[in-house]
Amino acid sequence: MDALVELSHVSKSYEAKTAVHDLSLRIEAGSMFGLLGPNGAGKTSTIRMMIGITLPDAGQVSLFGKPFSGEALQRVGYLPEERGLYKKMKIIDQLVFLGELRGLGALEAARRAKSWCERLQIAESINKRTEELSKGMQQKIQFIATLLHDPELIIMDEPFSGLDPVNAALLQDTLLELKKQGNAVLFSTHRMDQVEKLCDSICLIHRGEAVLSGGMREVKSRYERNRVNVQYEGDDGFLRHPAIADYKSYAGHAEIRLKPHADAQDLLRTVAATAVVTKFELVEPSLEEIFIETVGGRADA
Amino acid sequence: MLRQTLLIAKREYLERVKSKVFRITTLLVPIGMGGLAWLGGMSGHKLEGVQSLAILSADTHLAAQVKAALEQGQFPPSSIQVFAPATSADRASADQEVASHQIAGYLTLEGVPDAAQPEVTWVSGSSINIVAKAQMESAVRSALIRQQLLARGMPPGQLRELMDPVTLKTMQIRNGAAVHSDSERSFLGAYALILVLYGSVLIYGINIARSVVEEKTSRVFEVLLSTTSSDSLMMGKLLGVGATGLTQMGIWGALLLFYAGSAMAASQGIHGLGSLGITGAELGYFAVFFLGGFFLYSGLAAALGSSVSAEQEVQQFSFILISPLVVSVILLPYVLGNPNAPASVVLSLLPPFAPIIMYMRICSQMPPFWQVGLSIALLFASVWGMVWLAARIYRIGVLMYGKRATLPEMLRWLRYS
Repeated sequence: MDALVELSHVSKSYEAKTAVHDLSLRIEAGSMFGLLGPNGAGKTSTIRMMIGITLPDAGQVSLFGKPFSGEALQRVGYLPEERGLYKKMKIIDQLVFLGELRGLGALEAARRAKSWCERLQIAESINKRTEELSKGMQQKIQFIATLLHDPELIIMDEPFSGLDPVNAALLQDTLLELKKQGNAVLFSTHRMDQVEKLCDSICLIHRGEAVLSGGMREVKSRYERNRVNVQYEGDDGFLRHPAIADYKSYAGHAEIRLKPHADAQDLLRTVAATAVVTKFELVEPSLEEIFIETVGGRADA
Repeated sequence: MLRQTLLIAKREYLERVKSKVFRITTLLVPIGMGGLAWLGGMSGHKLEGVQSLAILSADTHLAAQVKAALEQGQFPPSSIQVFAPATSADRASADQEVASHQIAGYLTLEGVPDAAQPEVTWVSGSSINIVAKAQMESAVRSALIRQQLLARGMPPGQLRELMDPVTLKTMQIRNGAAVHSDSERSFLGAYALILVLYGSVLIYGINIARSVVEEKTSRVFEVLLSTTSSDSLMMGKLLGVGATGLTQMGIWGALLLFYAGSAMAASQGIHGLGSLGITGAELGYFAVFFLGGFFLYSGLAAALGSSVSAEQEVQQFSFILISPLVVSVILLPYVLGNPNAPASVVLSLLPPFAPIIMYMRICSQMPPFWQVGLSIALLFASVWGMVWLAARIYRIGVLMYGKRATLPEMLRWLRYS
């Protein structure tokens, strides 16, 4: 099957600064894709090239299996990082306008706008002007505007920033539901915990280059489960076990990093022999650690 | 895409027509124009001569002749006292009357030995206005001629006929036929266009620039650009704002028609549009040049709006927007005087000046058709160019925000897309 979005070897420079360099990625239908990276890494520049707001200096952008064209944008929903709505316009009028721009009829747009407002619990604001709404509410309206025409491809730049936990959860659930219906979702973020929970595949960008990409499972499996947390009572002699690379020892608690390819089960037996184990946990590296490790390594280079 | 352009135009139109600014200007401008017309009428009344005066002279006969000349003149005073031969007591009482505003002033005529003309002095309580000065001078001169002619034996009846003021009939060759010329009317037409264009450019030009800056600062443009092209956006914006302007003009036009046909206008000597001196063809040219000028300046405003990043900066360039109009107004008297001079022809072809200068030429003396056609073609071609330019600047300028664009940067942006 064709990818919904395919960037192959795209580069973009502004004046002296290189925003994106030789970046390639694919987003499949029915998947959730996380674009990760620290601030200024080139996430927004990458997204803008996907929807033709800027053109790449080099490389190819394909949408729905064809080279980029304006018509394809009718099937895309885009939420920019900096939210924009017409300040003086009524919410319902804006939603209908944006829906019509993307090819809906006025009546259909109004019907969908109302049902989405109910779904996101802001039906009471539908006749207000943007300037009368709080930031969070405006963000929900923008979210609706992005989804109104039921796009096959949803692209959101930092969708969770500035939302309270309740609304962030509401948004997450909505995105998961859309994914379940077969829509592809791409979002950018610098928060690893969200990506870890939501995404099927990721691309980590640093200084305009993809430093890590692929399926979430695959990326994580590339990094060993080499961390052990132990809670114990008794002797701490096991900390001299040959499999341990280094450790931090607290009262009755130790955080251990194992040597490459070390046998954690052997360590467990040693601990059990000398002390009373209340907890022995083999920890998968968090994406955050992978992120820091990868980016940190590159930053030194 | 046409559908999107029309949708954008519709939004711009509805948002503007529903706005307070629209309602206020629609209402205030006719009130303001009415007020101006009324003020104009008032100052017209001021153009009159001295109403009451005294004549002091040793020469009884000359004093009577001056009195007669004043009464026959363009602005006959309502009261003329004659003191002749005048004594110093008469002079003192005349001073008194001037001081107490009973008379506007007095004229003294003193014979000078061996000179053909007497020494004439006008004493008044206020500084003399041009009309009063001309009134006194012409009265004294014609009195002197009258006196001389009478002295040489011309019969008084024949003398009166001779001294009647001459009426000058003005004719003008228009479209190959001599018609009544009315330079005031030509002026009126051009000034009406200037006023309307100037007002609309100020109101709607600034308005369109603001709306561009608003989209930029509120970042709506990024959503819009992700669905439509910047050409559609700019074109839609211009059409929407243009339709708003036309709606407003339509309302004002209807009010004017209503006024022209009303009893109030009839009482002021105006019966229908014809007596306002506006012909159908002129109205047509007015519409064409107004629309062209309006779109050109709106496009310029949109381009300027795209190059700034904050609404406050819009104010700074309103002068740039208005300056070609100001230049047109300054050049207007020259063009009116020399409608076919090379400079006038060139100016009337240049798009920024064409709306006013060419319209002025059409009103005063119809230029060759190719010039009018070329002027209109250039005007609308430059509108298209301006939209193209504005769309490019908008497209790229809006993505690089935070600082005002310099001219070299703008040129670079043009190359980008």
